[in-house]
Amino acid sequence: MSAVVTEMPAAAPKGRRSSLGGYVPLVPPLTVLLIFFAIPIGMMIGISFQDPKTAAWSLVSYEKFFTDNLMIAGLLRTLVMSGLVAICVTVMAYPVGYFLARSTSRWRAVVFALAIAPELAGVVLRTYGWLIILEDRGFINDALIWSGIVLSPLPLAKNLFGVVVGLTHVVLPFGILAIMTSIQGIDPNLEKAAQILGASRLSVLRHVVFPLSVPGIVSSLLISFTMAASAYATPALLGGARFKVLATMIYEQIMFYTNWPMAAVMALVLLVLMLAFSFAGTRAETRLHKKLNV
Amino acid sequence: MNRALSGLYWLSLTLILLFITLPLLVVVAASLSPSSAVTFAPSEWTFKWYGALWANKWLNPFLLSLKIALVVSFLSGVLGALAAYAIAYEKCPGSAAIMAFLLSPLAVPQIVKGVAIVLFLSSAGFYMLLGTPGLIAAHIVLTLPFAARMIATSIYNFDRNLDRAAQILGASKWQRIRHILLPLVKPGVFSGMTFAFIISFNNIPLSVFLVRPGQTTLPITVINYMEYSLDPVLAAVNVASLIFILATIFLFEKLGGFSAQIHGGSK
Repeated sequence: MSAVVTEMPAAAPKGRRSSLGGYVPLVPPLTVLLIFFAIPIGMMIGISFQDPKTAAWSLVSYEKFFTDNLMIAGLLRTLVMSGLVAICVTVMAYPVGYFLARSTSRWRAVVFALAIAPELAGVVLRTYGWLIILEDRGFINDALIWSGIVLSPLPLAKNLFGVVVGLTHVVLPFGILAIMTSIQGIDPNLEKAAQILGASRLSVLRHVVFPLSVPGIVSSLLISFTMAASAYATPALLGGARFKVLATMIYEQIMFYTNWPMAAVMALVLLVLMLAFSFAGTRAETRLHKKLNV
Repeated sequence: MNRALSGLYWLSLTLILLFITLPLLVVVAASLSPSSAVTFAPSEWTFKWYGALWANKWLNPFLLSLKIALVVSFLSGVLGALAAYAIAYEKCPGSAAIMAFLLSPLAVPQIVKGVAIVLFLSSAGFYMLLGTPGLIAAHIVLTLPFAARMIATSIYNFDRNLDRAAQILGASKWQRIRHILLPLVKPGVFSGMTFAFIISFNNIPLSVFLVRPGQTTLPITVINYMEYSLDPVLAAVNVASLIFILATIFLFEKLGGFSAQIHGGSK
């Protein structure tokens, strides 16, 4: 921060008011971010290169992460779970996003409120809701056993299925917003023109709306994947000890094993994964936009 | 063909909306059901679980979460306004790079920020900051980027001719900030503060590393309890905190008028 203050005036245009004064309001917010964000991240990178026992420089935690089967399994579970959530969210978000972008009925406001309102409820309420629906003595198993369809409860929670259901619910509003914005950006006259020229509703959807909404689909997949991969509470509660992903394993390393270097390595793997996906996704999006504008 | 297709469309839309609302409906139903096992179709209704919320077990975490959320919301508003003022109003050189730094925490998953902060506080010897002070600092790292961006947007939308007019009429810089800029960007500041409040009040991935016995926030208390039991008192806690959040949004809206048009809303 002090570097910014002392270096900048040289580059600032001279004259009128003091050019240094403009930076003064930045001191408190940037100091807070420096102390509680930038320095901790730097320190975490440093700790990841320490030996867990002797604190000497070593790559032992990196080596362990990439050779230990438990770690690799956790990483794969995270990727599979996030991929499934991304697909489920996008498939479910499409009809709702289409409706919100194109409908003129008075139900539009109701659907919009229903789609977005759960976001206010927080993750705990929704996860609790899914737990009492999906657990062994929950609503679904209760109903299935009462009606005699199954004899013993189906395993719906504490596994991949439960986590994907819970995370899809958490991430869905973001997918809906991405698809809605993308379809809103398509000129409705294109659809009208295709319809006048004799295209059925299905072929308008298939040959006009869908191809033009691909950037929205990509951004929905991207948001869902990154949100799912970095989620903590939903996998912790709906996956439990039987379905561990990177985020919950990081928590275990800190709280139960107090292995800081290992936790730092895992957190960095997650961070690099997220940054790589965001970077690749944003590049794909800009390329798609360019292609569609031509 | 067309009818079958539109039938399918409406059916899928209905099912998806049902999926979205189902857990909320179930939680509300569970909070009103009399038996301590959460059942499929309760036959009677009761408010007894809401009565159980007045115990210290739930009241203390609620008050801690409220205290933290209020401090985080206030500081995010102040720090965000300072940053937005320098970037969007003064437009000091390098403001794009400064904004990028301010927004950089958004690119880092919360769980990673949580690990970084807890390792920093523990290994730098700041153990005494674990608990409430650490929670406040960590939540601010999370909310400040949102607040700064929202306030900066409302400063960018602010009509500079009003400022120039006041300057020509002889208003000092402080007078212009106090009487022209602040009232007109107030909705932006309040929407940033509301956002910060909700994020802080509901937070789990950062708080989970920083709570201490006796200093545990409401969401963490609830998830710890959920590991052992799913009894309906949790449904009541969840519904009550949702109602509390809706009431807070309503209150902030009354104070800040952020849903109104910026020019029509504040005088």
